[in-house]
Amino acid sequence: MGWKAIHRWLGLTIGTLAVVLGITGAILAFDPVQQAWQAPAAPDNLSVATLVERVTRTIPGAEEIRHLPSGAIAVFSFDGDQARASYVDPADGRVLGAWQPSALPRWVKNLHRSLLLGDAGRWGAAGIALAVGVLCISALVLLLRRMGGWRRLMARVRGSLAQRIHVVTGRVVLAVLCLTSLTALTMSASTLGLVTLDAGTEPDVVSVASGHPDLPVGQLSMLQNLSVRDLRKLNFPNAADPEDTWKLATRQGEAWIDRYSGKTLAWQDVTLAQRVYDWALVLHTGEGAWPWSVVLALVGASVPLFWLSGVFIWWQARRQAPRITGNSSLAQADVLIFVASEGGSTWGFAQALHDALSHTGHRVYTSALELFQTTAATRQVFVLAATYGEGQAPAHASHALERMATLSASAVPVTVLGFGDRQYPAFCAFAEVLEKTLRAQGWPALLPLECIHQQSSQQFARWGQALAQALGEPLVLEHVPRMPPTTALTLVTRQDYPGLIDQPTAILRFAWPAQGWLERLRGHGLAHFAAGDLVGIVPPGSAVPRYYSLASSREDGFLEICVRQMPGGLCSTHLLGLQPDDHIAAFIRSNPGFALPRTRRPVLLIGAGTGVAPLAGFIRRNDRHTPMHLYFGGRDPERDFYFGPEIRHWLGEGRLASVQTVFSRIPEGGGYVQDALRRDAGRVRDLVAQGAIVRVCGSRAMARDVAETLDAVLAPLQSSISQLKAKERYAEDVF
Amino acid sequence: MSKPLLTTLAATCALAIPTLAHSRQVTLTAQLKNYGGNGAYVAAYLTDAKGAYAGTLWVAGGKAKYYKHLSNWNRLSASDTRRLNGVTGASVGAGRTLKVTANLADALIDAGYEIHLDAAVEDMRDSPSDVRVPLSTGYAGKPQAGKQYIHTLTFQLQ
Repeated sequence: MGWKAIHRWLGLTIGTLAVVLGITGAILAFDPVQQAWQAPAAPDNLSVATLVERVTRTIPGAEEIRHLPSGAIAVFSFDGDQARASYVDPADGRVLGAWQPSALPRWVKNLHRSLLLGDAGRWGAAGIALAVGVLCISALVLLLRRMGGWRRLMARVRGSLAQRIHVVTGRVVLAVLCLTSLTALTMSASTLGLVTLDAGTEPDVVSVASGHPDLPVGQLSMLQNLSVRDLRKLNFPNAADPEDTWKLATRQGEAWIDRYSGKTLAWQDVTLAQRVYDWALVLHTGEGAWPWSVVLALVGASVPLFWLSGVFIWWQARRQAPRITGNSSLAQADVLIFVASEGGSTWGFAQALHDALSHTGHRVYTSALELFQTTAATRQVFVLAATYGEGQAPAHASHALERMATLSASAVPVTVLGFGDRQYPAFCAFAEVLEKTLRAQGWPALLPLECIHQQSSQQFARWGQALAQALGEPLVLEHVPRMPPTTALTLVTRQDYPGLIDQPTAILRFAWPAQGWLERLRGHGLAHFAAGDLVGIVPPGSAVPRYYSLASSREDGFLEICVRQMPGGLCSTHLLGLQPDDHIAAFIRSNPGFALPRTRRPVLLIGAGTGVAPLAGFIRRNDRHTPMHLYFGGRDPERDFYFGPEIRHWLGEGRLASVQTVFSRIPEGGGYVQDALRRDAGRVRDLVAQGAIVRVCGSRAMARDVAETLDAVLAPLQSSISQLKAKERYAEDVF
Repeated sequence: MSKPLLTTLAATCALAIPTLAHSRQVTLTAQLKNYGGNGAYVAAYLTDAKGAYAGTLWVAGGKAKYYKHLSNWNRLSASDTRRLNGVTGASVGAGRTLKVTANLADALIDAGYEIHLDAAVEDMRDSPSDVRVPLSTGYAGKPQAGKQYIHTLTFQLQ
């Protein structure tokens, strides 16, 4: 069982009870704050003898003085038969009011430490504390894994609202929560009798009557030399018992003092276990340190937040997890289907294949590619593989190739079906690598590698016909694409640019429908987004979404994209035909590799044409005035200087440190953006030497030219684009 | 909370009972006040005519770490290794009644012995010898008022 499973199941089960402890703990933290304001703290240098003299003057029946954790002085006395406990002003012994151990109902504390179940409940509460400790440790492991190590722990958190609440809160309170669990266990160990705090049995000492009256308090040397700072408790000798002694408890230990001679009859040092316990008590309750109790209250109150967001995360993951219906068991299945999917759409094709094969009487087992294997019953294997980014395997299948390389081939045919998009150079690259690996190992194939372009159902159906022929079975593949849930966005404004011949362009600003926080927490509606993320837009009459880089963040309150008319482009034509109040169906896809990390280092932004859109989004949200330097390449400042007025405005506001513009279609325009970089080679080198982060957005050809130019510019620094990419300082968004 | 348990006290020489024929059953009934706190720890014990510890009748409350708050009993009985033998039970809630039954040797009655009850409550002050009553026939059946946590203590001789 991995850390993730431990965290999830412990959180979902025992986490429910931890919520009770968190809420009651937050309420209990009120006590130290209330007590701190209730009565003045005694000055540290006041001698205990002086304090006792003042107290006995105002309260003749005093029996016990306590120096409370809050610093205040409480005196216990008898007024006739009436037992009293009072706050006392240490300056003059004046009674300030009645003292109570807590302002809260007792059941709150008892619920917190024993769930109102007595000793069994104390064991239960200790078990919950232990579970919270394990939850904290597993949370730290998962947090480091998610953020990518200690150095990036403070980076921006991405994901759904529930995920962000969970991770951001976790980052802040994890250490305190872990400490709370540790101190709870320390306290439980002594309460449950696993650790002994006392220094052994009390000494059997008595005051020895000498015929003299009691020594006045002012003459007890031990009390004269002790300052209130170190006092915990002082018990007066019982008037009715001539052998009774003074009993003193200090931070250092306990003393028994003869009432007649003032001699110290016995002394016991505080044990190490007691010191540890005292520290644990202060750290756990905030007693005597009210600012800390405020921190503890907030941490306690965060527990329900954790639990609720955790439940939502689990529920969302369950809902989104690919689920194959009608799966046979692996051992019995004669057809195995393995899937490598990035966005989840490949699972839909797998289900269609699964259903068709089941329909013709096969027992089919479908699973993720990283579980690739065959059994004695296996007759056919199909691998459906999507490609991620520049030809990598989808994240979940990243170790699939290594695993497959360790398996020896059998006579069972393994057929690979790839999924991808032809406009990327690495079209179906992962499927090709899989095909090559399998053939090299000697696995036969029923059909040669086929690559499905843009999730085309027609192409998939044609492959199905070939498959039916090869199997000799009447097989029909019908795939109905599953779209991510979309949100209806409303066009608010559009800013038109003429562009060049037949390529009008517009910056479109959309609004999304209002959503309650509960809806957002449940992952409904438009997901959270930041500049550089992508919006998927589904044009009418198409099942395949097109993606555009976002020029705004959710905090901006609008969703903005820059769209250029593509010749014959279904989606761009649709978008450029929109008028204010028209709607589109859209969803968010995060683009974590391109997003800008929170940084103080300089940022070099290089964009051409509509590629300036996400860069403009970065600048717009640069509230901390990180030095951002923009290189913008257009064709004609009159026709395609997108965001021109905004860029000038941001420059004035200090959100943008500098801007260099070049235009390729006007005389003296400066050529292309890479020409500007070459001319500024010295400055670019300086920025990179300072640790600059580089973001490039534009066409594929532009990105390639920029990379070549920068490689040449950086050569004197012994640096290169690939080095910067490895350090995640260089990222491209190309189209 | 009532604890009608037959307690045989053979812990110390003073309480040793030669035969049951020479013993009498004593029932202690301690009514607690509504002091508004968690369950009280109560120790019931005997002292002899000289005020020395003579034996433990009952200890209500199970956690040894709190026994130091029953300070008189804890100090006096420290050398009695068998002070807890068969005489412990749960702590007593506010407003409840503690009932203890013990067989005591005839020789202990009307011989200057005293019954003491120490009491302590979490977060509140300790109350050593909250109530004390001479173990003599004259006091049997007469409620004695306690100081802090114990409303009254009554003992019956049979």
